Amino acid sequence: MADIKIEIDGQIVNAKAGETLIAITDREGISVPRFCYHKKLSTSASCRMCLVDIEGVPKPQTSCSTPVSDGMKIHTQNEKAKASQKAVMEFLLINHPLDCPICDQGGECELQDVAVEYGSDVSRFSEGKRVVAASDIGPLIQTDMTRCIHCTRCVRFGSEIAGMMEMGGTGRGEDLKIEPFLAEGITSELSGNMIDVCPVGALTSKPFRYELRSWQMVSNESIARHDLTGSNVYAQTYKGQVKRIVSGDNEAVNETWISDRDRFSYEGLTHENRLLTPQIKVEGQWKEVEWNVALDFAIKGLSNTVLNNRKAHKLGGLASSTTTTEELYLMQKLLREIGCENLDHRLNVNNLDEAIHLESNLKLQALEQVDHALIIGANLRLEQPMINHRLRKAQLSGANITALNVKEFDYNYALNHVSVAPNEIATILAGVLKIVLEKKSIELPEYLSAISPSSSSVELAKDLLNAERPVILLGEHIINNKQAASIAQLIAEIAKQVGANTLNLSISANALGAQHVNFVPNSVGMNVNEMFKAEMRAFLLLDVYPEYDFHHANSAIEALSKEDVFVVSLNSFNNDLVAQYSDVLLPMAAMYETSGSQININHDIQSFTAMVKAPDEAKPAWKVLKVLADLLELPGFHYENSTQILEEFEHQPAHEHSQETAIDLSQQSTAIETVWMHNCYHSDALLRHAKSLSMSTLGQVNSASMNANTAKELALSDGDEYLGVPVDITETVADLCVFVNSNQATNIRSMS
Amino acid sequence: MISDNAKKQIDHWIEKYPQGKQSSAVMEALKIVQAENDNQLTHDSIQAVADYLNMPGIAAAEVATFYENYNHKPVGKHIIRFCHNISCMLNGADDLIAHLETKLGVKTGEVTKDGLISVKKVECLGACVGAPMFQINDKYYENLTADKIDDIVDGLQ
Repeated sequence: MADIKIEIDGQIVNAKAGETLIAITDREGISVPRFCYHKKLSTSASCRMCLVDIEGVPKPQTSCSTPVSDGMKIHTQNEKAKASQKAVMEFLLINHPLDCPICDQGGECELQDVAVEYGSDVSRFSEGKRVVAASDIGPLIQTDMTRCIHCTRCVRFGSEIAGMMEMGGTGRGEDLKIEPFLAEGITSELSGNMIDVCPVGALTSKPFRYELRSWQMVSNESIARHDLTGSNVYAQTYKGQVKRIVSGDNEAVNETWISDRDRFSYEGLTHENRLLTPQIKVEGQWKEVEWNVALDFAIKGLSNTVLNNRKAHKLGGLASSTTTTEELYLMQKLLREIGCENLDHRLNVNNLDEAIHLESNLKLQALEQVDHALIIGANLRLEQPMINHRLRKAQLSGANITALNVKEFDYNYALNHVSVAPNEIATILAGVLKIVLEKKSIELPEYLSAISPSSSSVELAKDLLNAERPVILLGEHIINNKQAASIAQLIAEIAKQVGANTLNLSISANALGAQHVNFVPNSVGMNVNEMFKAEMRAFLLLDVYPEYDFHHANSAIEALSKEDVFVVSLNSFNNDLVAQYSDVLLPMAAMYETSGSQININHDIQSFTAMVKAPDEAKPAWKVLKVLADLLELPGFHYENSTQILEEFEHQPAHEHSQETAIDLSQQSTAIETVWMHNCYHSDALLRHAKSLSMSTLGQVNSASMNANTAKELALSDGDEYLGVPVDITETVADLCVFVNSNQATNIRSMS
Repeated sequence: MISDNAKKQIDHWIEKYPQGKQSSAVMEALKIVQAENDNQLTHDSIQAVADYLNMPGIAAAEVATFYENYNHKPVGKHIIRFCHNISCMLNGADDLIAHLETKLGVKTGEVTKDGLISVKKVECLGACVGAPMFQINDKYYENLTADKIDDIVDGLQ
């Protein structure tokens, strides 16, 4: 676009020909009122509020839909512009109830702000106002559509960003109503953004309804840590409680959107199951005690079982990867200082000899630019919503996307779905590699000699070879694939040969942080699954909930519950199971209650401060670990704040874990395989305690999907249960495998 | 939900548009499905049309609720569409609508108990020269008076 000069309110401004006027005024800090315009959405020019006067044009023009040309002279403040804006304002207020005193948007309402400036003191409209009947569109969004000014931002958000048009305008003229068509209301995983884009109080946060005024709260930047994106958010707090989360702006991470789980998970912070005081178990009875008593008890227990008799190898340290990098760093430092190498965060992996090693080498902004993507084993829309959003943008600008999945999920963009059973994936990828190597006349390795590429392999290879900027994404469904390591290595090989980037999405939240601080056993240490087979004497657990977190939940619970095993649990939530096996319960601060950092998929260390103090006696885990280390008289734990911990590890090179395992395609399982995924709103402890999310349509999903043939093989029918989960017979699942998406606990998973 | 015959008719309209733009046929498709279902569109039939044209249900509903000639409630065998726009209004349409309502014992938007006649107020039908006017099914009746309305309505079977 050519560089041009235009004149706005007498001021010469540089612009590009064809830019919209409102983009320029926004950039130059010239205020033009608007309701329907949103920089990330298409232009509808329906509210008419941004009218300005352009010299030589008889009628005022909407600046959101007017492209500029050289020499254009624009007046945003002259009499004509002001009069037009005031006239539009008067029309918009005709049907608006002006119920600001009882409206949640009051104080942060675009309509209210603009009305103060452009509205009249007195209404000339004496006729009856339009009223729209209330409708319930789900547990997350509260509607008061009488307040709606028909800007259609929510409608455009749905069709353009969420990729599912759920809201629409029905009726006509005065009867026009913005509403969803389906009875279940709004089900998008990004639906909460409609609250942010709504310029009035028509769509507001349901969990936050009638809680507070926006000016009563303190708003601070933070990071939501439910997935690999680490979305930037504002945490809004009042009297020591997080009251609301709204999206922050960061083009490199989440643009200006956040997923619903990032937005509503804060509800879990005040759940009645929060662990609030330190407790010790004396003769089978729980006793609430002071911190120093609990910590002494913990030290004594660890000393008696493992430390005093040089048995640090009988101690195991396990942490959830939803914790902060600082917490993980301190915990591994503490364990290694006392000579313990048994530590792990990869709790949900069935076989760690088959662990996935694959690097992520494409940043989110670059993901939008790919021209081909191959997704393997992921329902990205629910598992990594913001990464899916970037991929959707790539698809809309022409990228060709293929998904290799056990089930045809509800994708929100056009892609080629290839149904595969888990045991077919490695063979298909081996076929792809063979074709690629043959095309490049590279000598074939031994393991490919017996492979004869299937038609799927041919198609996949063709797409990858034809692409200029391909990416291969490996998802969480693969972690417990019997050939997981081989699959990851085949992907790495293929990527190397075709010049593709890779993204490893098989890990959760802050697993990259855990990897960076080396929260995995070295050669002499035991991994999580080995620990449960060995005769351990003590465990230190960091925010672990066995019934959800472990693949081998039953053996984990058994090992932790043994009579002579001493278990120290640092937890943010308590439950019967945790109480059953623990000997000490140390209450830890949850998300937004502690300072620290997360390493996201861009490999950026995103730091955050504590938004609120942890409730009651709960303390940030890094402080607890520091004091534990001090009590154990370990050197090098003189931290005054978490930033000092960060400084210690941030410049350490990230630990590489690329133990090259030989690709082995011989192990062909013919059994019916099960891919178990947590419901997207039950994937970590905080989410599981967030009530509104659990009540939502997505949070309610609990099904074991299989096709009719598989059901017949398993002698199951509709209404039965498989591994305790209701059976859902659908032909969208590949033959002879089961896809479980469950909001239940998983101690059933070890059966599979 | 959509009969084979209706599908055939809809396909005829889909063919008129470029490939992948099948949703352009939504107005005709709604009309065809309505004609087959007692002159009425239900939530399910709108969804069925949307599914058939591979478009969101709400997008089909937006069209179906925008135009007067899609019916969302049961209608009579005969539909009287009474114009109440400016020319007809100036020529006494409002009084005549009231007369018709009293005669049939229904309000506009309703259907007579025997299911024979429904009355709708509609916007300009482009027959201002003969205002006041209404349309019964596909036929226009112009220069209406109370007596004339009585005659016409009494003749409906």
